[in-house]
Amino acid sequence: MRHRHLGPLDHLVGALLGVAYVIVLVVTAPDIGMSRDEGFYVRAADSYGGWIEHVGRRWTCDVAEGGLGRCAVTCAEGQSCPGGAACPADGQCRSPVAMECGAPGDCSSARRELVDHYWAYNHEHPSLIKGMFALFQLLQTRTEIFVPPSTAYRFFGMVTAGLLLWLIYVFGAQAYSRQVGAFAALAFALMPRVFYHAHLDCFDVPIALMALLVTYAYWRSLTDLRWVVLVGIAYGLALATKHNAWTFPLIYLVHFAFVVLSERRRRRRGEGRRIGLGPWWLLGMALLGPPIFVGLWPWLWYDTLARFREYGAFHLNHEHYNMAYFGVNYFRPPLPASFPWVMLAITVPTTTVALALAGIGTRLHALLPFHLEERWWPDGRAELDAARTDVLLFGCLLAPLVVISLPSTPIFGGTKHWFTAYPFLAIFAGVGFVGAARALRRRLGGRVPFARYAVRVGLAAVLLTPAALETIHSHPFGLSHYGSLAAGGAPGAADLGMNRQFWGFTTGSLTSWLNAHLPEGGSVYVCDTTPTAFRMLQEDGRLDRRIRAQPSLVGADYALVHHEHHFVEVDYQIWEAYGTTQPQLVLTYDGVPIISVYRNPRGRGLPDD
Amino acid sequence: VEVLSFAVAQRRVVTEDDWAAAAEVVREGFEEGDAITVAPRWADPLLRQHLGDLIDPAMAGRSDLEGYRRLWTLSIRGHRPVDAPPVDAAVDVLVGRVRVLRWPLPAPTVLYDFVEHVADARVEWVEGGEARPCHWDARGRPQGGGLGAGPLTPGQLHRCDPRRPWLWVGATTQDTLDLEPRRCLWQHPPGPEPLRATFTDVPLGDRVVLYGGIYYEHERHEEHGPVSAEVFVDGASLGALTREDGDGWVRFEASTRLPGRTSDRGTVVVEVTAPDPNLRTFCWAGSTRTGAVE
Repeated sequence: MRHRHLGPLDHLVGALLGVAYVIVLVVTAPDIGMSRDEGFYVRAADSYGGWIEHVGRRWTCDVAEGGLGRCAVTCAEGQSCPGGAACPADGQCRSPVAMECGAPGDCSSARRELVDHYWAYNHEHPSLIKGMFALFQLLQTRTEIFVPPSTAYRFFGMVTAGLLLWLIYVFGAQAYSRQVGAFAALAFALMPRVFYHAHLDCFDVPIALMALLVTYAYWRSLTDLRWVVLVGIAYGLALATKHNAWTFPLIYLVHFAFVVLSERRRRRRGEGRRIGLGPWWLLGMALLGPPIFVGLWPWLWYDTLARFREYGAFHLNHEHYNMAYFGVNYFRPPLPASFPWVMLAITVPTTTVALALAGIGTRLHALLPFHLEERWWPDGRAELDAARTDVLLFGCLLAPLVVISLPSTPIFGGTKHWFTAYPFLAIFAGVGFVGAARALRRRLGGRVPFARYAVRVGLAAVLLTPAALETIHSHPFGLSHYGSLAAGGAPGAADLGMNRQFWGFTTGSLTSWLNAHLPEGGSVYVCDTTPTAFRMLQEDGRLDRRIRAQPSLVGADYALVHHEHHFVEVDYQIWEAYGTTQPQLVLTYDGVPIISVYRNPRGRGLPDD
Repeated sequence: VEVLSFAVAQRRVVTEDDWAAAAEVVREGFEEGDAITVAPRWADPLLRQHLGDLIDPAMAGRSDLEGYRRLWTLSIRGHRPVDAPPVDAAVDVLVGRVRVLRWPLPAPTVLYDFVEHVADARVEWVEGGEARPCHWDARGRPQGGGLGAGPLTPGQLHRCDPRRPWLWVGATTQDTLDLEPRRCLWQHPPGPEPLRATFTDVPLGDRVVLYGGIYYEHERHEEHGPVSAEVFVDGASLGALTREDGDGWVRFEASTRLPGRTSDRGTVVVEVTAPDPNLRTFCWAGSTRTGAVE
């Protein structure tokens, strides 16, 4: 049976890995302009933050008889009350608007009109992570501890990345060995696309954390019933993070079938009981998951079923994004089934992928169903554990990729949509690493002093160097990055006709240039960048506030084109509007065009000398 | 191996200086009637950054090379342009990591480009069998633009029906099914009755060549009806470019050497119709040319 015992030192190692990663993310975050989706979540966080503030005020609010909501919030002359009202002469803030208190005496934060006012925005995604973004933004408004300010919105996403490394270490160490866990955590941290997404106020890294957390809790619950409650709680948090979580029980059901069949077969052969056959984990998930999901999402507190149906319908009938793949711009399903597998192969460092395959190969024996394992591999030593850990991890690795491969799956495109597979990929890479280290040590024999440690540390450094190089080089163009060996880097991927970017975040790499070329301010058509993302560049002090985003390219001083295959029409529109095909600047990554910047000859932009 | 491949990939990156130096070679040798292109196509923004002053929308959005005398190409990473002649280049110079190539082309055959002469056209739309004139607006401002908005409405155009702002004829650049730029005349069909563009005193040459297509986003779903552009010379039909969704940028060619033709010049009419005009954002490029019909 696995579940190796871990001590405080192990958690210290995991925590150090996580904290170090968060520090790196915080330091490098200002290089990455806000992305399209982040703009929506910034707005959501601001809105939800308004409700959280209301809740906070209610805690300290002394509602007067007759209820206009005289709150025990005091203010000084010249200050303003919560909500922006001027401070009254008596220094006692009153609820500024009718929204704060409805019927006399009813100042409840849970009132429907209040909940709907603050929580209706962006209700296609659950509340937990955006609520956490809001909490850190509220902290920022009081302390201004984050520099630049956009980091406040992003910080919790980075924290989830740190927690993920911690949990990868813990899971890998408990299931296999500490070396596996440590290598896996580093291999995951050094995936260029993961590194990019780990900076953002989005849900893709948080849901990867939740996928691993629920899987870990499920795994523990198979042998320790105390974890049944924890798996239910973890599942509730996962449901409140992103809709991917609804598929998790299906993966565990398949795995549990393996567990049950293996155990029954053992028992029929007269071997002792090793694991219980009751699906208590499912009970925990079913009983605790949905209530936590609803409880954490105020928008679902009213018209719950109707709103849940609306939420579900959004994802079941999701629009199809444009995605370039081998020169074809796909915009409706089916995307080729090879898409996630090929994208994984050419965006995850090749060494990591190779080690993961080696790790899976090492554990192949343990992945087979019990009777097949005996029939096909009678002489091997499978080291099967009762919880069939290898099957679970392999299933969790495969499932997200298989879902994206289905012809009926909407076209999403980004590798982030199967990030939930990567922690498991990393753990198998750790298994592969340990296998390689053992093999090397056997070959070296006693020729190297301290061989056991020297080989492990040296080999880990060698095997992680390519991933580190690729990750460092990918920054801040993580979505444009492709592996050097697998794809020939960004230019090789461009030759292959692969997607070059999405979300319009690369505008953040142009701020200095725009400041220099619009010294008196002006207007920019920002193509795929959202107004909120553009505004955040100004809030961060990177972009002159006199430069404004202009929805029409015709009247703008400058026009940007983010180079994605289906955005070429904007190039052509600009040629006609400005009478030239010549961009003043082409921002490149490894020589591949990322953004073209055109100057309107009738505008205020400065020509280059 | 992966570290080595990383180093190799970095060494192969084409620098700004390489592009600038290669562009200078082209600039020094450039002559009227030359076309410039790049291989691979993804490097096109870099080509235009350095040589865009020599590349007008007509060159960037050309349908073929028959109007040009020579073809320059800046090539990187071993790519060859798709429209290069199937012979060795006459000029082949390596500048840094950019290869500068130049091919001679067959003598130009284009006599009259309809897109260039849009201001000279007489445009009318037919409703209930009655022709209604469109009005040339030479002082407008370009309108439109943005993701998913389709081709820009130019400042100079023939405006037709104020109830249907899309019913106009003018020169623009459209992305068609292959996402390539096509400099063309927007002539959205009003329905089964035609929108008609008449060009007078046109040198007829030996043939007329038309290309036509629909805006990318309106064609790619392949759910709308056909569009037809029928060509008349001095009242006689030469046939029609008829296209269905999925056809992309379609070529049509017909001889102008009609029986009984007495003059080298004549009147060319292009009538665009569609059984259902919904999202039939049709744009066409065309010219009269010398030489036999292919």
